[in-house]
Amino acid sequence: MAKLWAVIRREYMERVRSRWFLVATVFGPVLLGILLILPPLLALRTKASEDAANIRILDATGTGLGDRIAAAMPRTPSAPMPQVFNVAPGSLTAAESTATHAVVRNDVRGYLVLDAKTLAGDSARYAGRNASSIGDMEMLTTIVRRSVVLTRLEQAHVDSATAARLAEIRPKLATERLNERGRGGSGMVNAFAGFGIAFLLYMTIVLYGQTVLRGVIEEKNTRVAEVVVASVPTDTLLAGKVLGVGAVGITQQVIWLVTGFVMAKLRAPVLTALGAKADPVSFPPVSPASLLVLVLFFVLGYVFYSSLFAAVGAMVNNEQDAQQASMPVILLLITPMLFLQTILVNPASRTAEVLSWLPFSAPIIMPLRMVSSSVPWMEVGLTILGVLTACGVAVWLAARIYRVGLLMYGKRPSLSELGRWIRASR
Amino acid sequence: MPDLAIEIDRITKSFAGHTAVKDLSLSVPKGAVYGLLGPNGAGKTTTIRMILDILEPDSGSIRILGRPHTDHGITDRIGYLPEERGLYKKMQVRRVLRFLAALKGVEAREADARITKWMERLELRTAEKDWGTAKVDELSRGMQQKVQFIGTLLHEPELVILDEPFSGLDPINAQALKDIVVDLKRQGRTVIFSTHLMESAERLCDSVCIIAHGEKVLDGGLTEVKSRHGGRFVALALADGAAAATPVLRDPALVKRADDSNRTLEVELAPGAEPQTLLERLVDAGARIDRFELVQPSLHRIFLDAVGAKGVEEGVTGHG
Repeated sequence: MAKLWAVIRREYMERVRSRWFLVATVFGPVLLGILLILPPLLALRTKASEDAANIRILDATGTGLGDRIAAAMPRTPSAPMPQVFNVAPGSLTAAESTATHAVVRNDVRGYLVLDAKTLAGDSARYAGRNASSIGDMEMLTTIVRRSVVLTRLEQAHVDSATAARLAEIRPKLATERLNERGRGGSGMVNAFAGFGIAFLLYMTIVLYGQTVLRGVIEEKNTRVAEVVVASVPTDTLLAGKVLGVGAVGITQQVIWLVTGFVMAKLRAPVLTALGAKADPVSFPPVSPASLLVLVLFFVLGYVFYSSLFAAVGAMVNNEQDAQQASMPVILLLITPMLFLQTILVNPASRTAEVLSWLPFSAPIIMPLRMVSSSVPWMEVGLTILGVLTACGVAVWLAARIYRVGLLMYGKRPSLSELGRWIRASR
Repeated sequence: MPDLAIEIDRITKSFAGHTAVKDLSLSVPKGAVYGLLGPNGAGKTTTIRMILDILEPDSGSIRILGRPHTDHGITDRIGYLPEERGLYKKMQVRRVLRFLAALKGVEAREADARITKWMERLELRTAEKDWGTAKVDELSRGMQQKVQFIGTLLHEPELVILDEPFSGLDPINAQALKDIVVDLKRQGRTVIFSTHLMESAERLCDSVCIIAHGEKVLDGGLTEVKSRHGGRFVALALADGAAAATPVLRDPALVKRADDSNRTLEVELAPGAEPQTLLERLVDAGARIDRFELVQPSLHRIFLDAVGAKGVEEGVTGHG
């Protein structure tokens, strides 16, 4: 037990002390902070620009639609107001070419063409320097639509006050997920949380599984393995390595999650201070029980994959060989990620269900399903049982391969040799 | 029966179709310096790995310090220096040593005190420089080897097993290691080392075991092995080449075999021949003699005779 502890401590301390750990642990939250703060700030940029109203309106409808639009344009003290040209339908082409010149001379930013088709609800045309600005165009489209509706209402003899009231709509889709227990919070939030958790689990398993792999290769290459196994049984060494590296992973995750949580809480105040509008980040409702299950899945998934990676490390002598030899393990690990999008779109689909049951993908997909839809506890329990069994098999196989492979140098074993390693007592 | 540090009883180990160690039995008395000699590939490392319970013998038994070698805690009483040496390259020297000590159950503070003592003795810690805080790969090869010796001995093992300890050592480190071995013996510890370098074995060992092809060829105390080998040997050095002496040394009535190692000849006398006669004949032939001494057979000679009979494998380097 003291020896296991010594191995765990070495694996843990040497990694936590490394510069790589420091960089990754600091960089994670910084990246998260950027992700939280930057999009709303960028969204600010997609709002209509200050001088979006500096346009020429060519109105060939003869209904005063152009004036109505001009009046609806946002007023800023710095920018000039739209110039409205009421033109006859026949002289529209000439007016357009004059307007084009005005845009080229930078007198105005662009021009808007309104004709009979516009009033019919078909189309309006805009040409200008800011035609590719999403914010400007969105604003213009909204104003044109509203003005057309208002004009039509007036033509139908609705009084202008009623017309204004009728045309006032602010459609915004609020989404909410429902499950058998009732309301389960915002659907988008759950999907994001599900994706986030699946991705975090995947990343961590890949990252730290490979760390175990490299650790084993290092011990083989530096030949330190023989000194160590003369003092410690190989099973203890393997367990210590997997647990020590796993503890590093958990340390990093905890730091990330805590800083992530704090940052999400700080996001709204920071954005408000920067002058952007911010909705507070909402967290999916996760009960302590499901949090525990989540951690359990992470630990089991990590143990499953890292012991397989350790076995691969014991089979090879260098990192190039390791890349090839670890392909089967990587493929297992990637499979759930390939289906991630399908599953996110419909977490209740058959694909999602099957992948959340299979032991090799369950540690990644089951937590996702649990967060983004609801899974019966019975099903979760059976899956955990399955993953536990798979873990047992993986650890048993890995321990046997590791024991023989650790002191074997030379070419990689063939499958039949590997079988002999597994059967060999020691 | 004297107290035995190691008692091996008919162990056999096979790997995928070839037998590395076959029916090997040997006893190492406590407090002895014991040489496990044999050509490359003879099964020395496999035997050592079985003693350390890294490999399990297919059959036979091993007892260490009076207990079965698989007993809990027995490896804590053994210090092992493998043939292929290595340490964690990116770790600080002192931390590596602390780790190795912890693996043997040495308490941290005690380990630190011993590390300091050893590092000072082997000049890894001087008034100007303490290499303890340097990373292993910042050290020269010689220094890394010293660190490895320290790691082998930190837990003050009763039994020290050194696999080819002299390979790759510069003369200074080789001397340091020999001093350590002598010290260990003085403290009553048992030292086993495997080597194919007969000169170091001859200088250090109390007892030897020669193995070839996984089988024991001979074993016993060094003096006993030498007297058992029989024959009378003369160490001969000639001042001006061997030309004048050649006809005399080729006389089968007088000389059974002459082994020329350039500066000294090891001459085995033919049965019934007298050393005095050889000396007279050499003087008569006009050879100028620098040295003429009755000696016991060298371990090198014994090794070649013993292993030669079993057929020496390729790559054997009997002389060092």
